[in-house]
Amino acid sequence: MAKAILYDATKCTACRACQVACKNWNEREAVDTINRGTYENPLDLSTQTWLKMEFREIGDNGTFRWLFTRRACMHCTDAGCVKVCPTGALYHHDEGFVAYDKAKCSGCGYCVEFCPYSVPRMDTNRASGLGRMDKCTFCAAPGLDRIDAGDEPACVKTCPTGALTFGARATLLAAAKARVEDLKAQGHSDAQVYGENEVSGLHVLYLLDDSPETYGLVVNPKVPAAAAAHDVIKPLGYAVAGVVALGLLLNIMVARARIISREEEKK
Amino acid sequence: MQEIERFRKRARVQHWWIAAWAMILGLTGLFLFLSWFGPAAEGGTSRLVHRIAAVCFVAGPVVYFLMNPRTSWEWLKEAFTWNKDDIGWLQAAPIYYFGGPEDAMPPQDRSNTGQKLWMVVVIITGVIFVITGFFMWFLKGNISAEVYQVMLLFHDIAFIAAGAMFLVHVALAVFHPRMSEALRSMWGGKSSTHYAKTHHGKWYNRISAGESE
Repeated sequence: MAKAILYDATKCTACRACQVACKNWNEREAVDTINRGTYENPLDLSTQTWLKMEFREIGDNGTFRWLFTRRACMHCTDAGCVKVCPTGALYHHDEGFVAYDKAKCSGCGYCVEFCPYSVPRMDTNRASGLGRMDKCTFCAAPGLDRIDAGDEPACVKTCPTGALTFGARATLLAAAKARVEDLKAQGHSDAQVYGENEVSGLHVLYLLDDSPETYGLVVNPKVPAAAAAHDVIKPLGYAVAGVVALGLLLNIMVARARIISREEEKK
Repeated sequence: MQEIERFRKRARVQHWWIAAWAMILGLTGLFLFLSWFGPAAEGGTSRLVHRIAAVCFVAGPVVYFLMNPRTSWEWLKEAFTWNKDDIGWLQAAPIYYFGGPEDAMPPQDRSNTGQKLWMVVVIITGVIFVITGFFMWFLKGNISAEVYQVMLLFHDIAFIAAGAMFLVHVALAVFHPRMSEALRSMWGGKSSTHYAKTHHGKWYNRISAGESE
């Protein structure tokens, strides 16, 4: 049964308690922040910040709106990172989301280049290439597994307004759709759910009262075509190696037998 | 038994230098390429080894070229010079290598057509490996994800091509009854005069006539 997180942007006050709870549970360090004239901090996701709230100030026709978006791993069903991860450090949890076992990470960084949401972060040493990836683990990292313990992710647990909820994906989706109808009835004509079908379905669903573009979400995200090419060339690699090895074995056996028999004829 | 020198020492050192690092590169690359070997890449040590090997792999030909520019050009010319005897070799090779009669095989130069084909594959895939590897190592984060994805794809495709040819090269040089002295000549530099006559007739005739290699 797939599980998901539902983020209801209309209930979010951007208190950022989720950011703090995420760091607390996952043992991430605080990052020095700068006053840039906004409450939004830190500037971006990092190896230490797996979840952050984005603040957007929208002014149109004399009205002003302050929109908040949750930024973290979207836990795609068709996940580019899982496709290209060589070691299996990134994998689909039984509950559908993209779990991560950091102990297995090789530091190759392919996930960084194949994520349609630009989520994975690394502090790689440029010369040696050493360093491991970090991203939201859905609080299911080995040793820090809240899901296995029957608990909800730390961000959901701490959310004071109910903007974040955790549960069966189908249930959350139904609830979100019902709330879309409520919002539309209240005059929010652009109310919609984001994440139902994006990259075959996200395990972080968004309830928005405006378009995904306005909220800074990727419209029509795609797993890179090169990831599909991996699905072709990896089996091709096995096949070529197998056929060539078998062919050579056969070739050498036949050649040996024929040359030996010819030499014996000469005698 | 009469012997003839086929590979000078510096050429042999170069061959084994490239071979050793290429095998380390291939093995550590395999860990990231095929998921059967994925667990071997955990922690990233194999990736560090891959980078060290890459530097050594590139340094070999560069140093060789600086020390022996003329011989380097001769090798390159040899690899990329193909004529009707090479077409003949390609046509006759399947019969010849499955132990059939030797008559149909056109006389070969110091390197036969198959060996030249291998040199061409090594040079072309080597250049692809170095360029795409350079992008993924030094420009990661500075190039777009799309460019990186293409670089990785070409690195992988080059690996399939070079890996397949590597298997052929090793199997023929080490195990094939017809190539009985190929390994010996690349290791010690010499082959028997008889082997040179029968396998590299064109080259043998030139050498015996006192011409250059």
